[in-house]
Amino acid sequence: MKNVLILAGLLVACSLTALGQGYATMPADALVFPVGVAGTVYEDMELGVRGGTLNYANITDPKAWNNHTAKETSTTHYTGRMHRGMLNLDHISGAIVPDFAKSYDISDDGLVVTFYLRQGIKWSDGVEITADDVLFTYNDVILNEDVDCNARAGQRLPDGTYPLMEKVDDYTVKVTLSTIYRPILNSLSFNLMPKHKLAQSVHKLNPSVPAGTFNQTWTLDTPLSELVGNGPWIVTDYQVNTGVTMTRNPYYYGYDPAGTQLPYYDKIYVHIVANQDVSLLKYRNGEIDVFALRPTDIPILLPDSGRKDYTVAITDKAGYGTTWICPNQDIGLADGTNAEKRELYRNVKFRQALAYLLDKDTMIENVLNGLGTAQWTGLSVPSPFYAGRDIYGGPITDNDSVIYEYDLAKATALLDEIGVVDKDGDGWRDLPSGAPLVMELNTNDNTVRVAYSLIIQDDFRAAKLNCNFQVIDFNTLVNQLLGGTGDIILLGLTGGDEPNSGKNVQTSCGNLHAFRFSACDDPDEVDLRIDELMDLGANTFDLDAAFAYYKEYQRLLAQQLGYIYLCQQTFQYTYYNYVGNANMASPISTPAGDNGLLSELCFDKRL
Amino acid sequence: MKRNGLRALGLAACTVTLVSLIGFAAVDLNSIVANELIEEISKAAGLALVDSYTLKTVEELETLAASGRTPGIRLAADRALYIVTGEEMALFAKTNDELLALANAGDHDAADMYMFKIRTRFVKPTQVEEFLLTVTSDAVARAAGKLLGGFYVPGSPIGAKTEAELIALAKNGESLGLRVAAATALTAIWIESKPLTIDQTRSAILGVTLQYPELAYAYQGYLAYLFSI
Repeated sequence: MKNVLILAGLLVACSLTALGQGYATMPADALVFPVGVAGTVYEDMELGVRGGTLNYANITDPKAWNNHTAKETSTTHYTGRMHRGMLNLDHISGAIVPDFAKSYDISDDGLVVTFYLRQGIKWSDGVEITADDVLFTYNDVILNEDVDCNARAGQRLPDGTYPLMEKVDDYTVKVTLSTIYRPILNSLSFNLMPKHKLAQSVHKLNPSVPAGTFNQTWTLDTPLSELVGNGPWIVTDYQVNTGVTMTRNPYYYGYDPAGTQLPYYDKIYVHIVANQDVSLLKYRNGEIDVFALRPTDIPILLPDSGRKDYTVAITDKAGYGTTWICPNQDIGLADGTNAEKRELYRNVKFRQALAYLLDKDTMIENVLNGLGTAQWTGLSVPSPFYAGRDIYGGPITDNDSVIYEYDLAKATALLDEIGVVDKDGDGWRDLPSGAPLVMELNTNDNTVRVAYSLIIQDDFRAAKLNCNFQVIDFNTLVNQLLGGTGDIILLGLTGGDEPNSGKNVQTSCGNLHAFRFSACDDPDEVDLRIDELMDLGANTFDLDAAFAYYKEYQRLLAQQLGYIYLCQQTFQYTYYNYVGNANMASPISTPAGDNGLLSELCFDKRL
Repeated sequence: MKRNGLRALGLAACTVTLVSLIGFAAVDLNSIVANELIEEISKAAGLALVDSYTLKTVEELETLAASGRTPGIRLAADRALYIVTGEEMALFAKTNDELLALANAGDHDAADMYMFKIRTRFVKPTQVEEFLLTVTSDAVARAAGKLLGGFYVPGSPIGAKTEAELIALAKNGESLGLRVAAATALTAIWIESKPLTIDQTRSAILGVTLQYPELAYAYQGYLAYLFSI
């Protein structure tokens, strides 16, 4: 449920995982998806048959297999399929729904949530899942300061405390809050991890291992036979730069109404390819079954859709997630270099100048073929809390949005005002001291991002800002971003409806507060107000009041320009028509290589 | 053992059925591809035979592609060769300049890949149309035309044309690229709507092949589809 860095790029041990034999019969507490059931959001889906392999492509190798230390989609793409939580985001409706918990209830005052877990459900290796696993994941992993966990920020309550999770019995878990926390169900939809496999790696449970050991657990060096999950898929093979095989978890507890255990497919094979154009060629050749297309792919794909029997779905649904550039305001802080550049990047007028140089209309027109929307702030456009609305869930008006339309004159005036002018007559603006200013803009080999970058580079140069652009490997880029060593990085984040899910990004101590990690120790007034607004928005069940807080929060983000937002394409996807239920792809899920499919409900109609 | 034996028998039975079905279809198409005198019909049969041709050796395919008796045989072999030799990825690895040089020398696959790789320059059909004005090579014109056809096809967010407009353009478009674009979109439309039977399509080809070769090309693509289903 946390924002994670969006997709895009070791010899590893490959071995069969220790998958168990599966259930003899459908568990009494199975999770039954109402596939084809009238009156449900699944009514347009078809019952499937088991068998076959679903093929799609991603352009990045995974970084690890550890769900709770992962911050990038190159990893969570797999861990999110290996693990499920007590609750889950419903793929179709976007609602938070029971998953490993068969039900829950909330006390009238909203301060106690009791979860009733499914009984007789097992991890992929056949060990039963109980409340102990839930408590282990929450108390010993997520809330453990020794673990570099992406989900912790979202657990912090407005009064600074954390929910108290207790075991009532093996199948009942009670969560007690000290104050109202509206997004509590989002926060408690974290993925579960197996205590019997991982407790030994947690220092507080096993002092014989050094602190931080969990952060190095389930890395790419881990034999795949060690990986255990409760989700529909388990990674069973990985060939670097080639592909990842996920195999049906024999103990997954999802079933269809006919009593068929899910997933329908036996396997998923994720082709790891050099870039999206290779994915497109593979799709055209029928080597992969689904493809997250870009607008520029539409004229390539449309003419053959009938002959090859695939669907090109062009929607006007705004996509979730954000794309941005991130000037590193901590550049050189760790090694004592780049002091003047750091000071410049910390100057909001400089960042405003950059914002005025982002020609979003051209990006939408020339990169997204018109199929996109400008982003002005850190929340996904479809969210009912999006600041471009006047009221919660109302239409987007942008009446009082903080907007920086492309304006070279305003940008140059701001640069002049802060002393970033060409002092040596070489045609490029210099730092106020007269030292050369050279900015390094980097993104990964994602054609849309590369195209954005080239437009940005041109527009920066038009303002006499010397900007070099280079494509670098995705995982290297992530390391730069999270290590605070990058200069200006262009990347993206996943997104959702709930603003609180961005807490790990926007609050001053969030672990994806990558534009200025030092804000945690040295927050300014705006940082503190953003932190406060996040708490206020979460501390009420009144959606209108929450909307007002989140609107102010988003306006501050737009004024602060930590991440400087770009555009988001509308949701497009394509699939061969033999992939059953592929038509239910949803922008709610990150449209990575698998197109936002609910893969456990897809099936091969040819079987 | 008994269960394994049954499975093996079942597999054998399926295999026999499959071979028979393929054999039936192949004989029919092979007869057309070998005997049809009208180039577009021969090529349509050839296109429908590509998959079965991929089972031939590279040497056989090279021979057939170079000196097969009919245009359909040569086309089937050429397309199969493209697949089995993995030429697509080899072309993808080339630079745009290398591809353009090959395209200008008449290599249609290189031309297609060139347009594939530079397609992000074209976000509107008018941009492809303007590009076509600068093109001197037939291979590049055809490749650009195919891309432009993707804008013209119904369902395209920008540039979609009606069937009547496309027929007119396929007949009388000012350039080869424009006519190929229209033909590409027409084939797509007909595959969706299936307006003609195989015999009707053959007749339609006979009616236009000399006067409107790109319209015949559109029918060829549709006939290839009909042959393949």
